[in-house]
Amino acid sequence: MGSRPAAQVGHSRKVYIQRDYSQGLGLRYSTAMPPQLQDRMPEDLFEAAIVNINQILAGAENGSVGVYAESCFACLTGYLIYMCMDTHYERSLKEVRKLIEEYNRTVFMPRRLMMIDPSERGLRVIEVVLLS
Amino acid sequence: MPKRWEVYPGKSQVLCSGRCISAKNLSVFYLTLALIVISSCLFLAFDCRLLAVTLSPSVPVLAAVQFIFVLCCLLRTTFSDPGIIPRGTPDEAAWIESQLEGPQVDRDGNYRPPVRLKDVQINGRVFKLKYCFTCKLWRPPRSSHCSTCDNCVDRFDHHCPWVGNCVGRRNYRYFYLFLISLSVYCLYVMVFGIVNLVLLSNMRKDFLMAMKESPTSVLTILVAFFSIWSVVGLGGFHTMLICRETSTNEDIKGSFNQRRHPDLINPFDQGNGLANCCFVLFGPVTPSLLNFREDEIGLGSSISLVTNNGRNGASAAAASTAVTATPAVRYSNLTRNNNDAASNSVGHVNNSVQVISESLPAQLPGDGNDVIVKNGNGAPADGVISGGTDAVGAQNSNTQSASSVHCIV
Repeated sequence: MGSRPAAQVGHSRKVYIQRDYSQGLGLRYSTAMPPQLQDRMPEDLFEAAIVNINQILAGAENGSVGVYAESCFACLTGYLIYMCMDTHYERSLKEVRKLIEEYNRTVFMPRRLMMIDPSERGLRVIEVVLLS
Repeated sequence: MPKRWEVYPGKSQVLCSGRCISAKNLSVFYLTLALIVISSCLFLAFDCRLLAVTLSPSVPVLAAVQFIFVLCCLLRTTFSDPGIIPRGTPDEAAWIESQLEGPQVDRDGNYRPPVRLKDVQINGRVFKLKYCFTCKLWRPPRSSHCSTCDNCVDRFDHHCPWVGNCVGRRNYRYFYLFLISLSVYCLYVMVFGIVNLVLLSNMRKDFLMAMKESPTSVLTILVAFFSIWSVVGLGGFHTMLICRETSTNEDIKGSFNQRRHPDLINPFDQGNGLANCCFVLFGPVTPSLLNFREDEIGLGSSISLVTNNGRNGASAAAASTAVTATPAVRYSNLTRNNNDAASNSVGHVNNSVQVISESLPAQLPGDGNDVIVKNGNGAPADGVISGGTDAVGAQNSNTQSASSVHCIV
């Protein structure tokens, strides 16, 4: 892929981690570390972070008996139950949000990086901001 | 600060301050609605008078229940987000487009257009991902750009004018439920309309007299009769598609047509029809990614969102103070939770935060060796620029082996 310049916006630069479709359509991000981050954090740490995120997202997209039961029940209530509770997918995305907040606090911010929750980017990319 | 729905760039119509979205032109939808509502009202008001008395009061009650159910499914299909993928931010677009090979002139002086394809292998089948210049994103497999609504839609099925919206991943089950329930309802109305006429003609001893006495029955029977052919046909077609885990768009393109090309396996097929049905109709559904009710954060504040508070976006100032605070990195007392995330999520959100342990796993799953990501070479100009109908196997990249057939999604 080579080195590509990070997008320049004002005083900060950004790198983008794209979706990884090799295992299917499931929600999964590439664990390949962009070259711009190499001087800021070790590669295995970065990979482990992405892998943890991917694990939660895999749970969101896989159908299981619990998910089907929840959908059937919701259908029977005319989908009104979703006014009171979140779907399984939404709960998983909230977990990812909490995880990324924790990572930002413990791993990324000390290295002058910030990871943006992919939900804020329409699940297209994980954005990592290189803070100056 | 404007809300996201106020700055929405597509051609869809956003209603109820960002709570609903539909196509801009709803005239055919109003026709559908009128047909259903008017026929039902006529049936309930006129036919059911005799039927309730002669047969059972449950006849109009069942009709009313079905009518409400059909209406709910229709409205849900029309006004919910079909799975629109939000457009990429300008920074993302700059990042991605800087990687694409720009327009070139080759040795013969021929113009080669900018390359916007990349290959991805999914479960043994090569897909060509296309970069959508309108939406500024790599279109996921199975998604497609709807020109009517000017959006990329996830698992795009088709744009249905009768329903007044695209049918995509998020509203496909409601669309299917609408078709099935409407088929049943049309049959119900037709049968009991005929029963009503028969009962009336028995009382009047003349069929023509009965028809003159109850002309609305004739009308509802005719409407139901002509609707049944299309609705039941479409319902059957979609049942078949669901069992094969294919969308209408893929069926039209012949993406998974193994009769023509045995290589065209469907990597999304779960194995049997019932499993596919369960997954499509009751499987997990993405929440709407558009987040219309939130504030639109423009380019001015370049560092957006994700602070300790979560949703309501931080300003750049908050981010910079967080950086200067430099919290100590604590690893030693944090352990990695290896349990299945799904089992942790319900009711234990506070405890389910997973953090990295000091000793990292030796081997990481999905280490990227499975990904075959290549930039497509210069495909024929008319095939790439037109962006119109993408034919199966029309594009043969020189980097691929001759036996693999490509599907441009």
